[in-house]
Amino acid sequence: MTTSSEDVLLAIKRVRQKKQDGILFLMAERIAWTPEGKDRFTVSHLYADIRCQKISPDGKAKIQLQLVLHTGETTNFHFTNESSALKDRDAVKDLLQQLLPKFKRKTNKELEEKNRMLQEDPLLFQLYKDLVVSQVISAEEFWANRLSLNSVDSSLPNHKQEVGISAAFLADVRPQTDGCNGLRYNLTSDIIESIFRTYPAVKQKYAENVPHNMTEKEFWTRFFQSHYFHRDRISMGVQDLFSECAKLDDKGLKTMVGQGVKNPLIDLTSLDDQTLDEGYGVSSAPSSSGCTKSVKETSNTAIIKRFNLHSAMVLAAGLRKHEPQNEQNSETSSTDGNSRDSDFFQPPLKKVKLQEAIEYQDLKQENGKKTIALTLKKSERYSHGPVPVQSQPYTTSQDIINSVNYIKHEMDNYTPHLNHVLSSSAASSAITALSPGGLLMQGGAHQAINQMVPNDIQSELKHLYVAAGELLRHFWSCFPVNSPFLEEKVVKMKSNLERFHSSKLRPFQEKVQRQYLSTNRICMIKFENFGQWGLNDANLTGQKQPKQLVSKVQYLKIKEGEGLRNVDLLRSPKHLNSALRKRNSTILEMSANAP
Amino acid sequence: MKLNIDGLLVYFPYDYIYPEQYSYMLELKRTLDAKGHGVLEMPSGTGKTISLLSLIVAYQKAYPLDVTKLIYCSRTVPEIEKVVEELKKLMEFYEKMTGEKQNFLALALSSRKNLCVHPEVSSLRFGKDVDGKCHSMTASYIRSRKQQNPGVQLCRFYEEFEALGRQVPLTAGIFNLDDLKAFGRQKGWCPYFLARYSILHANIVIYSYHYLLDPKIADLVSKELAKKSVIVFDEAHNIDNVCIDSMSVNITRRTLDRTQSNIETLQSTIQKIKETDAAKLREEYSQLVQGLKEANVARETDVYLSNPVLPDEILQEAVPGSIRTAEHFVGFLKRLLEYLKSRLRIQHVVQESPPQFLKDIYEKVCIDRKPLRFCSERLRSLLRTLEIADIADFSAVTLISNFATLVSTYSKGFTIIIEPFEDKTPTIANPVLHFSCMDSSIAIKPVFERFQSVVITSGTLSPLDIYPKILDFHPVTMASFTMTLARTCLCPLIVGRGNDQVAISSKFETREDIAVIRNYGNLLSEMSAIVPDGIVAFFTSYQYMENIVASWYEQGILENIQRNKLIFIETQDAAETSMALEKYQEACENGRGAILLSVARGKVSEGIDFVHHFGRAVIMFGVPYVYTQSRILKARLEYLRDQFQIRENDFLTFDAMRHAAQCVGRVIRGKTDYGLMIFADKRYSRSDKRGKLPRWIQEHISDGSLNLTIDETVQLSKHFLREMAQPFRKEDQLGLSLLTLEQLQSEEMLKKITQIAHQV
Repeated sequence: MTTSSEDVLLAIKRVRQKKQDGILFLMAERIAWTPEGKDRFTVSHLYADIRCQKISPDGKAKIQLQLVLHTGETTNFHFTNESSALKDRDAVKDLLQQLLPKFKRKTNKELEEKNRMLQEDPLLFQLYKDLVVSQVISAEEFWANRLSLNSVDSSLPNHKQEVGISAAFLADVRPQTDGCNGLRYNLTSDIIESIFRTYPAVKQKYAENVPHNMTEKEFWTRFFQSHYFHRDRISMGVQDLFSECAKLDDKGLKTMVGQGVKNPLIDLTSLDDQTLDEGYGVSSAPSSSGCTKSVKETSNTAIIKRFNLHSAMVLAAGLRKHEPQNEQNSETSSTDGNSRDSDFFQPPLKKVKLQEAIEYQDLKQENGKKTIALTLKKSERYSHGPVPVQSQPYTTSQDIINSVNYIKHEMDNYTPHLNHVLSSSAASSAITALSPGGLLMQGGAHQAINQMVPNDIQSELKHLYVAAGELLRHFWSCFPVNSPFLEEKVVKMKSNLERFHSSKLRPFQEKVQRQYLSTNRICMIKFENFGQWGLNDANLTGQKQPKQLVSKVQYLKIKEGEGLRNVDLLRSPKHLNSALRKRNSTILEMSANAP
Repeated sequence: MKLNIDGLLVYFPYDYIYPEQYSYMLELKRTLDAKGHGVLEMPSGTGKTISLLSLIVAYQKAYPLDVTKLIYCSRTVPEIEKVVEELKKLMEFYEKMTGEKQNFLALALSSRKNLCVHPEVSSLRFGKDVDGKCHSMTASYIRSRKQQNPGVQLCRFYEEFEALGRQVPLTAGIFNLDDLKAFGRQKGWCPYFLARYSILHANIVIYSYHYLLDPKIADLVSKELAKKSVIVFDEAHNIDNVCIDSMSVNITRRTLDRTQSNIETLQSTIQKIKETDAAKLREEYSQLVQGLKEANVARETDVYLSNPVLPDEILQEAVPGSIRTAEHFVGFLKRLLEYLKSRLRIQHVVQESPPQFLKDIYEKVCIDRKPLRFCSERLRSLLRTLEIADIADFSAVTLISNFATLVSTYSKGFTIIIEPFEDKTPTIANPVLHFSCMDSSIAIKPVFERFQSVVITSGTLSPLDIYPKILDFHPVTMASFTMTLARTCLCPLIVGRGNDQVAISSKFETREDIAVIRNYGNLLSEMSAIVPDGIVAFFTSYQYMENIVASWYEQGILENIQRNKLIFIETQDAAETSMALEKYQEACENGRGAILLSVARGKVSEGIDFVHHFGRAVIMFGVPYVYTQSRILKARLEYLRDQFQIRENDFLTFDAMRHAAQCVGRVIRGKTDYGLMIFADKRYSRSDKRGKLPRWIQEHISDGSLNLTIDETVQLSKHFLREMAQPFRKEDQLGLSLLTLEQLQSEEMLKKITQIAHQV
């Protein structure tokens, strides 16, 4: 159960569990307890399994620590060392506090991520079933380069929604009286995070003062005592730690107000067209007496202000996370100089809002579906389409215009040579020959393999194909073999491939042979090829999957410095084959060198 | 679609039509045919504006000699812009159907602040500053000064317009404020003066109430509009208050202090001119002998300040001799000022009528009625003669002279109340003289008399018969329209008590009761748990809201609410509230949901719509009665009772209910929209209150939804919301609340439509 390599970070004696004394160990990845006089752990929890820890209140006689697992089970430890029980407990608590979050995040995230990927991608799920469930390769191997692969481009499809902040997070820290003229606030790490996210100013204060100037506890005590927290109390002018935060908030509010609102329909300041001049009107009570406001009234306005600000901050905290990303996007896209052109086509907000306001949806005839406006980050890319990396010299729009003009010119000057055309009888016979059932169209009839092979075989074939591709991907990703680890992997992958061949391909081949060989010649040829493929996979992949191959060859080219031109590769299979052959030989050499 | 409204071909720019729109057009046509006035109540969100525009434009095209112009008055700038956009849509449709360009000019007019394109002037924040700055660059004497002194800064946009703009008037097109600005920039013309010039020959003018109802502005802008115009007051439920506001004046000690310094400046300027250019003053004097009218062939830019009195009241005679010379007039102003100062030095409240005031002023400082009447005209003339550029500085003395003119012109319908301190703070002396108009018909009277058809319309005008009374006119049509609904998309509920059976009400005796406040809090927090997206809650006043929010905070109710939704609260500061509103919408938009606590009679309740998810429920905490202890209000109530036989209580309830209806009406903005309307006060269940709600709300209040407890309300709301969450398609509406042309023409439907309009 125990592996010797686990370092013991902390060992506490005289800890009771289920009325039995024992020793509590905190190790690198788990917490464990052994009864006194025994040498095996009766209790052992991986940190990753622990949801949270709870401790008994300070004043209690029993000093305990409780672990709550994800499953809902709990384990209690009772610290019984009279002299140092409290200290022991706190030591454990602190260490756990540091350790738990690390594991928590890692495991959950990873599992969630894997789960999500499998759910989102049925193909991947099938692959997982084919390879991992049937034990061709292990799960770790399967995920090894999946995850890293995914985390690279995770920014786009992996756009998960941020969890916002509950507006009532401060309500959860209702103070309780502790019986002797004091108040207790219970803070959890979630609440602290909420406070920090909502009020960055407090976070900054925290960073400045803890732990150099005060302890964490002291910080929060002051926080709850401060006028900042109790906005309805009027500041007595006492310089408290958070008065600066309050000032910052006020400033923030002012700038927010100063910015005005974007939607002109809700801008109350410009609602009225012609305000009455000062002194006219019935109800214009002279508000010059600013000092008449009672203390109660000012405190009420303070509360109202505070709620507005709080809600705005909570709202902003929920949105803040996206912004950096957007900024990045806009930055990268603005490199080509015309990133802003998506804005040009959008009518001004005011117009949109006005149109929205006067629109009666049900009065209109709905004409077709509502279209979604196309927003282009880079319009250039849209109009030119993706181009190969090493393409021909760039065609400027002037060139295109020129050639269009040229073609137009040619068309204008075109005069048909009517004596050179086909005779009408010849033309009509050519058309009959080319019509379905005609002389030249007969070859197409027996090509519909997909109609002859039942669907389940087809899909099985497809799965096998994908699985083989995946294995090969793993295999090829080991090259060039420049580390012992890769070497090991190549060997492993080779055996994996062999295993795949024997456990999956062979039975399939036999099955197909049994069922279809007699009936269908093409099928047989196909599966002969398929059989070869298992042995001489690279070649076949080359024919089946030109795209993948090209990318591989490209890769090789870069790595090995072959002077092959991409374009040539695309053009002639001859080059391709020679390149492949060359590469195969290197592979063989390499695998021969491997122990 | 092309409609036949009682023999008139009306182009309607949609493929479908609501039955009530058809009915509305019928009534409107009858009003125009009779060349009379009308009061029409049509639920919000049933396309009132487009029906109105479609019909009147068609009418104008069919009978160009009977109706020459449509003047459409709305309340806020966004409303004005919306109307223009709808008109654009209509005109596009006309062009599409007829295939030819329409020779039709329509434009919006707004204050300089919204139209100025001068880079320096338009960057000023306040409307008053923009006006003042504009005046200092465009007034005729300043422009003439330019010839001697090239250093004078003029507005190039105005100069350009003055040089070229008048010869080629705007001919056709629909110009929104932004279009005018763009046009002005392109041509280099001043959009504001272009618009003011163009309204004279435009087919449709869209601007705010003040241009017709505030005599100070109306005299400048709308004086020359043709008699054969149709006037429409949209969102007219508060029109009486607008009328009253424009005729009332408040004078504080601060006003008087500033007047003092104004007069001193005047005096020193006169002294200076006397030394350098005495001829100018003599010239003014002789002009004044001739009479004011002749003296005032003033340019449009000069008439920055206008007479506060209605046009027909202005005298055609010469200025009385006692104030004809500049020095005498300044002396006269000084006496007036001293008199007012002495009146403000009082210890107790004084209320008197204008004749009493005139008698007193004659006895104390020997000021006659006649020179008082000329006061504002005389000041205007003096300011022009003295060539004072920055007229905004003289607002205090202008206010005083306007007051003098008003008080000496109208002996009825006004009252003077002098209060030594505010009611809330009896220890702090803050004397105010209120010169308050009590009769809303005074300001609007010339409008009714001058124009052949005036239409007053809004979503909430109930009870309809009170408007003709307080505005003193005789409508030919008065109708209230219901909303035909394929599904009951509004759910008015009246909550009368809490779960503890304590009656909830905002009435004065119980409003501070902790049980009531707690129950209000419980209601809001329960609703926050079941209503999706946005909830808007209205309180009866700022003060009440502040108190309730504070005690909710103490009781932890707000924190419970925060678990469900974010909370935003209206403040007295408009900019701050705008921000809160924007954040509120953002929170509704991104799915968090939010609650907006707001105030009836506040800016939010009057100008902001909460369409669809921005408002799924509205809660009206209490009945929004106006502050009844105010002396001005009491005086007005008395006046209404004596003059129009409207009982105090009736008027107060009417006023409270129209505001409540405005508040709850904010959530329903169309037939595809839906929303809960919760009236949280026991008093709403009484029929005298309920009966004053608009018909389209009233008819959905069943006996089962009166005096509910909070629990019952939650149950009913849940049920309603679940029902509304079902998909709602066009087919469900078609034939019931939405018609095609064929359906509209069927005999049966036409019969049904006649029932929609409810004649009073």
